[in-house]
Amino acid sequence: MALLGADSRRDLGIRSYPMLVYVLAPLVAVVLQAWLPRLLVGYAWFDLPLVVTVYFALVRRDPIQGTLMGAALGLFEDALTHHAIGINGVAKTVVGFLAGSVGVRIDVENRTIRLMLTFVLSLLSSVVYLFIHRVLLGLELDWSWLAELMKAVGNTVIALVLFHLLDRLQIRD
Amino acid sequence: MESFFVRYRNLLVLLAVLLAQIIGLAMQVRHTDNGRNSLDTKDGTGVRLIRLWADALVTPPERIFHGSKLGALSLWGNYLALRHVREQNQDLQKTIDRLRLEQAALLEDARQGQRLQAIVDFQQKYIYKTLAAQAIGSSGSDQSRVFYIDKGSDYKLERDMAVITADGIVGKVREVFPHTSQVLAINDQSSGAGVILETTRIRGILRGSATGRPQIVGILADQRIQPGEKVLTAGGDQIFPRGLPVGVVDRVVKDPERDSFIDVIVKPAAHLDRLDEVLIITSTQPRFSPDQQQDLATSEALKGVEAAAIKEQQKASAIMAERLPGLTDPNAPPAAPATATAPGQTPAVPIAAPVPKLMPARHPDRFTPGSAPNPLQDQGTSAPASQESKPAATDAKPQSKPAQTPNTAPPHLGRDQ
Repeated sequence: MALLGADSRRDLGIRSYPMLVYVLAPLVAVVLQAWLPRLLVGYAWFDLPLVVTVYFALVRRDPIQGTLMGAALGLFEDALTHHAIGINGVAKTVVGFLAGSVGVRIDVENRTIRLMLTFVLSLLSSVVYLFIHRVLLGLELDWSWLAELMKAVGNTVIALVLFHLLDRLQIRD
Repeated sequence: MESFFVRYRNLLVLLAVLLAQIIGLAMQVRHTDNGRNSLDTKDGTGVRLIRLWADALVTPPERIFHGSKLGALSLWGNYLALRHVREQNQDLQKTIDRLRLEQAALLEDARQGQRLQAIVDFQQKYIYKTLAAQAIGSSGSDQSRVFYIDKGSDYKLERDMAVITADGIVGKVREVFPHTSQVLAINDQSSGAGVILETTRIRGILRGSATGRPQIVGILADQRIQPGEKVLTAGGDQIFPRGLPVGVVDRVVKDPERDSFIDVIVKPAAHLDRLDEVLIITSTQPRFSPDQQQDLATSEALKGVEAAAIKEQQKASAIMAERLPGLTDPNAPPAAPATATAPGQTPAVPIAAPVPKLMPARHPDRFTPGSAPNPLQDQGTSAPASQESKPAATDAKPQSKPAQTPNTAPPHLGRDQ
């Protein structure tokens, strides 16, 4: 795994995107996350807002931006459920922060690393979600680790395509 | 100091965001009396506002997606049909092909019309007032089995209204927004509905599970519960009217936490994963058609006539019972006299209950009634006992006599005479 120093990071530069991408990509992710499970009954093993959070946190290499985007998308997801608002918010906040922090130190241009990070962060998000639900709030929740594993794999597969598409939208000098 | 904030800026932002969300979470959870935590059943104003914003932001694109899906399907279907026509036109005569295709299209339209008519018919025949709505979105999470419908407070929907299809119950309205509503499906972990098994009449509470299969929990083990038995709503939960189909028993498993209890896994009657059109029960007041109302009025009018006819029949049967001599036992003990008599009416004379006469035994033995020897008489000490029993036997006869008079009647008819 290629570790970078601060100078190398500066050399690589931080990507930037049109403002429309920053607005539309998360919104489309949330809308599709709410709509696609109706089509893919029983096979909706993905979390598009999480993938988008990881992507922007990684490529922007900014933990604060990752934190805020993760929090916003997580809260948005929570608002569409009937659960307490903030469970997904906290989970994705942590994921966004970690992705942004890792982006500073790791060569995120490498596809394999990005995909591995997506897989690991998906599982971490599930762990944080379960921790908040059961331990922090003391609420009952049935849980299937197999489903979470499948979701992590699904996120990785989607990231393979989505990261490539979003890469093409960046502003190039 | 400034350098501290600059140096740990990332961590401080993270902590601030996490802290704000955790405080928000803590405000939504309540500690219940049974020692467990639970979410507020009704969202607070702030939470509701966030849900409203999220819904307002997501619903318009969802509607577009939903509409475009139908359009794309139609376009694709038309394209295939057109290609099919071209291929056939190469082989067969154009006229016959066109006619055949038209016929096929008409048949398909008719089938589609029948499907749509089925749900409209159900809505019209259904005794409660319902409103049709279309499912347009979901929560997007397996942990939250809620979906959104395209009707809201603009159609006077309210919380806790039952949502059903022609097949069975679906869920209840959990949150109402101006133009949409959130519906909690019966297979969500937090949902509950009172149900009853159709044959065994065992009642229970239907709950959802992580797998999406609803189950009746916490009922005592019972061998009579078999797969395939129908499950209906019990009507005690104030949400679902009584008798609506819920599903059928899929299998019975042991309760993992309590030995003598079982969980009944239910296969829902409604296709919860593939919902398009649903009905919301907006009023549980019975809604009768003009014909049904007329039938009810006629039935009420006939009630009085039927009651009089039944009285006449009872009177006639009583008289017939008295005239049949073999149905009364002359040796039977006297019946208790009627205690309650309406003022101004003659008291009814009680009759003895009819006891069938036994045929005399052809070869009497010691088991024959009345032939068993009395050990006290054999010992010569039966005098006081026989003296005591004699008056009882003689007293019975005069009291039983009036029961055989033709003017007697059963006690329950005494007031009428």
